[in-house]
Amino acid sequence: MFRFIVRRLIVTVPMVLIVISLTWALIRLAPGNFYASDKKLPAAIEKNIRVKYGLDKPWYVQYGRMMGNILQLDFGNSLKYENETVNDILKRTVPVSAALGACAYLLALVVGIFMGTLAALKQNSKIDYGSMGLAMLGISLPNFVLGPILVLIFSLSLYWLPPARWGGFPSWNLLLPVLTLSAVYMAYIARLTRAGMLEVLRSDYIRTARAKGLTERQVVMRHALRGGLLPVVSFTGPALAILITGTVVVERIFAMPGLGNYFINANLNRDEPLILGIVAFASILVLVFNLLVDIAYGFIDPRIRY
Amino acid sequence: MSEIKTVRLFALILASALLAAGCAMQSKKSDFFGKIAPPDGQVLRYITGSEPESLDPQMSSGQPEARIDIALYEGLAEYHPKTMEPIPAIAERWTIDEDASEFVFFLRQNAKFSNGDPITAHDFVYTLRRGLRPELASRVAYLAWDIKYAEALNTGGAFVRDQKTGRFVLASETPKDAVEGGVAAEIQPASVTNAAPPDEETLHKKELGMKGEDAAPDTEFHHFIHAPERLVVPFDDKDREEAFKANPKLKDLVAGKELVPVKPEDIGVEAIDDYTLRITLRHPAPYFLGLVPHQFFRVIPEKVVEKYGVNWTKPDNIVTSGSFKLSEHKPYNQIVVVRNPFYWDNANVRLDKIMFFPLEDNTTMMNLYKAGEVDALYNHTVPASWLKGGIRYSKDYMDAPENASAYWQINVTKPPLDDKRVRKALNISIDRNALADYRVVSKANNTFVPQGILHGYPSPQGYNLNVEEARRLLAEAGYKDASGKFDPKKFPVDLVEITYNTNESNRQIAEFVQAQWKQNLGITIPLRNVEWKTFLNMRSKLEYKGIVGGAGWVGDYMDPYTYLGLFATREGDNGTGWYDTKFVAMLNEANREPVQAKRYQMMAKAEEYLLDAAPVIPLLKPATSWMKKPYVKGLYPNPGTLHAWKFVYIEHDQAKWDTKMPDMTTDEIAEKE
Repeated sequence: MFRFIVRRLIVTVPMVLIVISLTWALIRLAPGNFYASDKKLPAAIEKNIRVKYGLDKPWYVQYGRMMGNILQLDFGNSLKYENETVNDILKRTVPVSAALGACAYLLALVVGIFMGTLAALKQNSKIDYGSMGLAMLGISLPNFVLGPILVLIFSLSLYWLPPARWGGFPSWNLLLPVLTLSAVYMAYIARLTRAGMLEVLRSDYIRTARAKGLTERQVVMRHALRGGLLPVVSFTGPALAILITGTVVVERIFAMPGLGNYFINANLNRDEPLILGIVAFASILVLVFNLLVDIAYGFIDPRIRY
Repeated sequence: MSEIKTVRLFALILASALLAAGCAMQSKKSDFFGKIAPPDGQVLRYITGSEPESLDPQMSSGQPEARIDIALYEGLAEYHPKTMEPIPAIAERWTIDEDASEFVFFLRQNAKFSNGDPITAHDFVYTLRRGLRPELASRVAYLAWDIKYAEALNTGGAFVRDQKTGRFVLASETPKDAVEGGVAAEIQPASVTNAAPPDEETLHKKELGMKGEDAAPDTEFHHFIHAPERLVVPFDDKDREEAFKANPKLKDLVAGKELVPVKPEDIGVEAIDDYTLRITLRHPAPYFLGLVPHQFFRVIPEKVVEKYGVNWTKPDNIVTSGSFKLSEHKPYNQIVVVRNPFYWDNANVRLDKIMFFPLEDNTTMMNLYKAGEVDALYNHTVPASWLKGGIRYSKDYMDAPENASAYWQINVTKPPLDDKRVRKALNISIDRNALADYRVVSKANNTFVPQGILHGYPSPQGYNLNVEEARRLLAEAGYKDASGKFDPKKFPVDLVEITYNTNESNRQIAEFVQAQWKQNLGITIPLRNVEWKTFLNMRSKLEYKGIVGGAGWVGDYMDPYTYLGLFATREGDNGTGWYDTKFVAMLNEANREPVQAKRYQMMAKAEEYLLDAAPVIPLLKPATSWMKKPYVKGLYPNPGTLHAWKFVYIEHDQAKWDTKMPDMTTDEIAEKE
């Protein structure tokens, strides 16, 4: 187990560096630059900017300098917001996105697992159809539709909840974005749980458990859920990573000062250090969460051994 | 069976929820949009657009920053809240010499920074010298290039000195043919070509210093700055080689002489004493005063800037010069400014606090506005679909015209649009009134400088819809059948394309004009949308086929030159490849004319010439299109949506609320109570 974790962590480093290099190359291949705006700059001013940011150097010098800094975990200052370092921006925005993402996922887990389990236990009943219909709706209703609908109802018609903006944690401002964000995950988790549970409930060890005379409650909670939730666990890793690195659409609709909002703008602004910083952070997170999922498997499923 | 039922049930629930929400919206019929509840006290909550890239006034280029900078910093002059003409600010008054190339500003003696330090002419000298230093790499520094040697400093230029005699080579000694030669001139540094030819006659004739009570004393520096303009060449070896390659005679002139880099002390900005500032321009520029309220010219505290470097604008370090000071900056969330007690006119500042919310999504802004969480929005924030939904009749909707022009650019370097007749034909086969009706937020405009924005500017007639004439012109250009009539099939549609940057309104306009041309001329020109930065790249390198749509120009200041000047150079935002020395000469001549009315007439003549050459297809004149709650007073829909916040206040007396768009026909700043 320990050797497995160490091996995986060692592989992570070169993978992140490859991702960064590819991203860097893609930014360079994309037309345009960070200082262009609708008003064209005089050539001399453009030159001043290029000299200031070292863009007049050959590409390998720039690449070397960038890699050197990143290996020291210093992504430098943002090009767009020049008195902020990328590390500052990450430190400030990750908590916002993480709060949003974690709340949303927690809600999704609780509701999703409950609905999925219920549906599996009462297969082909009205409850099953009802919750799966709701899940289908959640999956097919994109958050840029759901968000505005919620805002329309709760903020603009009833005037109950603020329609947007960050109000600290916790605050009422979080409710609508969390609901919007969790809908899809809730739906997926419900469906995954249902499928997993259905399979497990038909398996021999459940039959054994029932034959032993355990109550239905004990069968479900102690035996079935453990196996039935495996698909949910493997879904959780990447899902959580995506949620924590910012959810572009929801953060934009609700004007949340999170990582997703920065990421989309960094790309539009060609803000190279910021893009690289966010990409590096996101890829590390995805790799680490996948590792955590693999570890969790070992605990949940006795058949898996590392 | 029952699965279908469930789906139906959910569809029904969703539909009724939407319907309920829709009804709720409809039933609240009011003259104003959304909740009207003024905040307690004198607090304004304002949405200003995207997160400012910097709070350093010399470093930011956009409007979102400009609006915050107006609160934090003050310059020699401020924007008039209605007309945006310059009104006295830190400068109590100013004098302009007769050919508008020298400005003397008399500063008030009670102006202070937010830490209590006095603001003097030396601070303005520091501000401008720093702003123009090439190492700062300010994107808007070019706005100050009219100041003598400012461009030379900003672009890393050097004077040329003869070591034997100690004499500097003058600009007028530049070999003539090179300055006028087309391609050669283009590669040369702009300081040699773009400047109005050194007008020695005026310079010698001019008496140094003003006469009468406003006489500013003559100084040594004044003599230096008024001496005939020195030659400036790039100090950087590589750039200089380029310049020499383009103009070998220049090389001979410079050979064997010493290069003296232009220093910040060399630019035409001088503190005559603590409260008198003299700015000398390299050529007559009557429009310069209109630039002075721009954030680039707003004063910053030398000590703080030098101490903290790039971090001087952080909340803990920042010291400001305007009516407000920074109290909180949470990026992407809020920027809070509060009253600056040291501000010289603090007694007349009404607001105690302004909360700027940086936001980009229009729907979100409108939601916040409707829910009563913000009091006013910036321009172009109301989506067209909301306007059509009735907001345009709302009494808190502001649609006064803007200092901006929406037009399309034509690549005049490639056939078939290298033919003026073809360009003109396309221009006159568009029904602009129909387009304006369709767009809701704009008015038709067939001239390049938007009509009716600049007081006293006699806009030329422009060209109106005339399909007959268009067909005749196209036939004349050779796209005709055997009988000599225009034949759409002969027109090389494959060589032309309407390229626009991905954006809903650009697409709508492009499709509309495409349909017009199809209907009126029978030609279908394909559309192509590209991502913004790619679009900018294609346009500046003239890599597009035929036409780019989606161009617009927001005036930098209130003068026709902010538009016409775009075509005074091949570079910059020209984007068409059209460059005509006659046109440039017309502009330069107009800029030497001191009488405003006459100068405007000359500018209008130049515009007429431009419209005839048709490198652009003027389309629309946008309305500012924003909203403010009726209790927000002193906030006017001016042509640039730049507000002098010191005049803004919250009116708690309902009887005095605005019941319609404020009157923009008078230039009175505020109703007195």
